Amino acid sequence: MALLTPYSKIPELNTATILLIENEERFQTKLADAIVQQEKDVNVNVRLARKLPLPLENGDSRPRVDLVVFVVSLRSERSLQAVESSLNYLASDYYLGKVCFVVTDARCGTLAQERMLRVRRLAASHHCPVLCAEHQTEEGIAMAAMRLLTILKVSAGLSPMATTALYLSSLTRCAAAPELDDD
Amino acid sequence: MDGQAKTILQRIIRKIPNKKLEVTLKSWDRLSTEQLESLDCTQPKWLFLENLISRCGEKRLGLKAVTKLEMVYYIDNPNQGTWQAFQLMEAEDDAVSVSFTQFRERFKANLEEDFRHISIRMKKLEDGAIWIRIAWGDNFRKPNHLKPTYVVHYLQTPYVFFLNFMSKHKPFLYEALFRATRHTSIKEAHLSGRSLTALRDLVMRQYQQVFPTKDRTLKERNGTPLHPNIEKEHAEYAERRHQMACEAFGDGILPKLERAVYKLETRYRGNSSNTLNDKDELFRGVVKFSSSNLLQSFHHCVATGIVEGPVTPLLSSITQKGKNYFVITDKVPGATH
Repeated sequence: MALLTPYSKIPELNTATILLIENEERFQTKLADAIVQQEKDVNVNVRLARKLPLPLENGDSRPRVDLVVFVVSLRSERSLQAVESSLNYLASDYYLGKVCFVVTDARCGTLAQERMLRVRRLAASHHCPVLCAEHQTEEGIAMAAMRLLTILKVSAGLSPMATTALYLSSLTRCAAAPELDDD
Repeated sequence: MDGQAKTILQRIIRKIPNKKLEVTLKSWDRLSTEQLESLDCTQPKWLFLENLISRCGEKRLGLKAVTKLEMVYYIDNPNQGTWQAFQLMEAEDDAVSVSFTQFRERFKANLEEDFRHISIRMKKLEDGAIWIRIAWGDNFRKPNHLKPTYVVHYLQTPYVFFLNFMSKHKPFLYEALFRATRHTSIKEAHLSGRSLTALRDLVMRQYQQVFPTKDRTLKERNGTPLHPNIEKEHAEYAERRHQMACEAFGDGILPKLERAVYKLETRYRGNSSNTLNDKDELFRGVVKFSSSNLLQSFHHCVATGIVEGPVTPLLSSITQKGKNYFVITDKVPGATH
């Protein structure tokens, strides 16, 4: 099993790499554009993928990935299933503040609420934050990009203040809903 | 203009939407320019019809001209019902050299031999299609112009398309087609749909086909290039899926097929339920796919990875065999695989 590991490569100067994983490949390109266009100070690389594991042949050209983002569309069951299966291909070091969930389509219907709960439970059990994003408007995408960049800078060690990914994640990680507390 | 012609004219005018009236009347080519200008297509249909009838009266146009109007409208707007495709088989030696004149004479002569009252109109279009309008009568009754059958055939191809086709006329029509095209048998192509052009494109392969190639080069499909800092991990995989979709369903604008039907006459295989697992009885069922553009939908599903490849031959044979009705049976009764 080809695990993706965060510390097996040397970081590059003033560079951060974010990996966007979305099974449908709808939101990720727009989000990626917004991310590279918003950031002017730091060199941000974006890698797009449908699911993990990543193809082996790209292994050498791929820089060190500082933040893994799972994009879940609540409209589709497959989207969530793909994320669930992908989580196994991440080395455990990533779960110390280098993984984050982005949820889209959270506004639709009752089914979405069920899935939302499942995403929250998933995130809580992996100590990751969950962001809700609007993918239909320009502002929503820009906002999501901004929030991801903030997390990315911390997890890539580019934040000027003495904040670490581990410290940030303990503050931002998703708390399970009260009725789920027992697990 | 007699009563029958008026009734038919009324039917046709009712069918044509207001915005298409002017174009249709122009291509009808029976009224003079002044007469056309004096007609107001925005009027209510009944008033328009009265004016039109009086113009036709001035020109002494009768039933024949009216049936031509209907045909003109159908040729421009063939999506008027369900077209069925048939395939002519066993061509004789001179089938390749049949000309339109020969075809017309033989076809008409043959049907007129069988029926005392029948009205046949035929027109050859620029793209080679022969449009035939047949109003059926019999030895005692006049042709019924309210329910005409339309036949479209492309010379030197084995395909014929029927619209409003009644089984009681089948043997006569087949016979006339055999004589006119010099074939000796015909079979259903198991292809039907509202869009005549889609059926034609499908059976004659007039869409952009993609064939498997050994040297796959990554071509830039969508025009917008990515920012240099953005890289796709699964680019090659996506390219492969796109290639697979194109090989199965074609590329570019696909024929607008609206449905595909699979009739299952197979045995249920599985060990979940004992009631379904009856070894002697067939598990009968019908699976229908429908969409405004079915092939495009399948293409999209495969290309975006919603469906895992490879494409099942059941779906890809829609384009490969030019069919959209399939009966699926077990190859060997009772066998499992």
